[in-house]
Amino acid sequence: MLVHAEGLMSFLTQSLEKGAGPYRSVYVPVHPPDGGPAGTFLSRFTGSEAPVLDGYRPVDPVKMLLYGVREKVAPFAGESPPGLLAGVKACDLKGLELLDKALINEEFADPAYGSWRDKTTVLSFDCTDAAPTCHCTLVGGKPYAESGYDANAARMGSHYYMNAATEKGAALLELIRKHVRADTSHDRVPAAVEARRAEMTDKVRLQNEVFARSGEYARLRSAAPDAWKEQSAECVGCGACTNICPTCYCLILNDESETGPFAKVRSYDSCQWQGYARVASGASPRPRVHERFRNRYLCKFVLMAEQFGSLGCTGCGRCTEACPGGIEFRDVVRRLTEGPVPGRGAAGSR
Amino acid sequence: MKPNPYEVIPAVLTDTIDETPLIRTLRLEPERPVAFRTGQFIELSLPGVGEAPFTPSSSHFITNRMDVTVMKAGFLTEAVHKAKPGDTVGLRGPYGTAYPLEEFEGRDLLLLGGGCGLAPLRSLFLTLLDEIDRYKSVTFFAGAKTPRDCVYKTAFLEWKKHPKVRIVRAVDAVPPGESWDEEVCLVTKLLDKLDTDPKLTPAIVCGPPVMMKFGTLDLLQRGFPEDRIYLSMEKKMYCGIGQCRHCVMGPYYVCKHGPVFTYAQIKNEEGIWD
Repeated sequence: MLVHAEGLMSFLTQSLEKGAGPYRSVYVPVHPPDGGPAGTFLSRFTGSEAPVLDGYRPVDPVKMLLYGVREKVAPFAGESPPGLLAGVKACDLKGLELLDKALINEEFADPAYGSWRDKTTVLSFDCTDAAPTCHCTLVGGKPYAESGYDANAARMGSHYYMNAATEKGAALLELIRKHVRADTSHDRVPAAVEARRAEMTDKVRLQNEVFARSGEYARLRSAAPDAWKEQSAECVGCGACTNICPTCYCLILNDESETGPFAKVRSYDSCQWQGYARVASGASPRPRVHERFRNRYLCKFVLMAEQFGSLGCTGCGRCTEACPGGIEFRDVVRRLTEGPVPGRGAAGSR
Repeated sequence: MKPNPYEVIPAVLTDTIDETPLIRTLRLEPERPVAFRTGQFIELSLPGVGEAPFTPSSSHFITNRMDVTVMKAGFLTEAVHKAKPGDTVGLRGPYGTAYPLEEFEGRDLLLLGGGCGLAPLRSLFLTLLDEIDRYKSVTFFAGAKTPRDCVYKTAFLEWKKHPKVRIVRAVDAVPPGESWDEEVCLVTKLLDKLDTDPKLTPAIVCGPPVMMKFGTLDLLQRGFPEDRIYLSMEKKMYCGIGQCRHCVMGPYYVCKHGPVFTYAQIKNEEGIWD
């Protein structure tokens, strides 16, 4: 269906505020208050900031909301209320698809993430711009949603073309139609949207031409330790790259009960930190910075690909943006996938 | 609704046995039975402190109580050693793979272990003893640094009396003031005394990483098949269910696809002995 952009905005900022629909909380990207950093941040909509639905992905990934930095997971306080998450971009949808595979499986579900996921409707928006670090096209992605959303909105001049992919998405579109005038005669992606998508894809592709890579990620496994040392020369092991990555979900579990029953709290961990894999005896499989640095690249391009059938990199470029050492992730991947393709296990055990 | 994987089963600490100055066995009575298969591990929680993975050291045929042998090595295990009878701790699990007893049936078996690595082997050994008619014989080579560092001191003396069991113990060294009338050598050196056919003897190995490494290499050299060497791998683990990623080893989660692996399964993975 087609909805006027102003109409959709008023639905999100006014109708929902007045209690329309089941959503008890609405999350949108907003600019930080004056003097804050550039870019947008996902925040609970309070009515004071204007949502930024177009443009490119927010500074922080969606996981920050659905998979909190610190959450009590047992005893689990209960179901999250229904929520709406609007303004999500394609790279973050890919991140959610991977987290779904990792955190909800046939045997177990992370209680907090599972509950959030069940109750949250995800409304994605096509990218209309790209950050300098954006590179979804290098990892097989597109700057618009192909899957993983409940409903999607694609900018088309003064309007949005909207479609639903799930029941939750269909319910959202129905609610929108109740509050805003919508033209429902469009049931296919309009040519104008196709054209804009192609244009955006070209833009992202063009800005990444210098980082073009072979896609032979198995080469990362066999790249020489010296090459990793060289690439990680500016790495201080701070973990900014993993904390901000939409697919990193490594957790630590603490017991924080004071009196009474056990209270399990999970928080983010980072494979870039020295203590990450260290066991009580002091042994660690990756005691040196370049080994931990390498681990992240292997995890994203080899291990996650083997485990989940999709790369652990969505091309959002946040790791490059967050790195205090100025390490250009795309450049590291390009350089270290240039070597020979190894046989499995070529690196061997030390 | 799937079960919450992070809920714990409370267990009362009923007794503690000091094995060595650093190693203590806790006897636990869980609120409801924790039915594990020998080789699997549990996560032991201390309220307000945290949790860590341990392999029970009791027979898996006993489900109303569980022994866990813990070496004081870090923050959590230090707190474990401070726990007193009557305290409540928590258990999650069991998790991971077990020793494949069906593959051991009718065979001569070799258990090779050292230090606190004897804990899982004690569980296996006691489980084997409970059904000893299923197996041809059990050779148990056990090592420790010094006589003082030997775990299960009195139990070993009892076990030795069993007709289908052969136990040989070794210490690396006997410091002045300590006495020892068994072998003095590295535990792997005991393999010289093996009197069963390496090609037909499954070997189950558990111990400190360096012992596991050289033990495995030695076994290979003596003709033990790669897929008949069973290793209990130790990696850092928080969740036990393949979610926290700390124990990732190539395509495996040690917590989920292990901790028991054959050498053939993991020989090409990086850093297996680290």
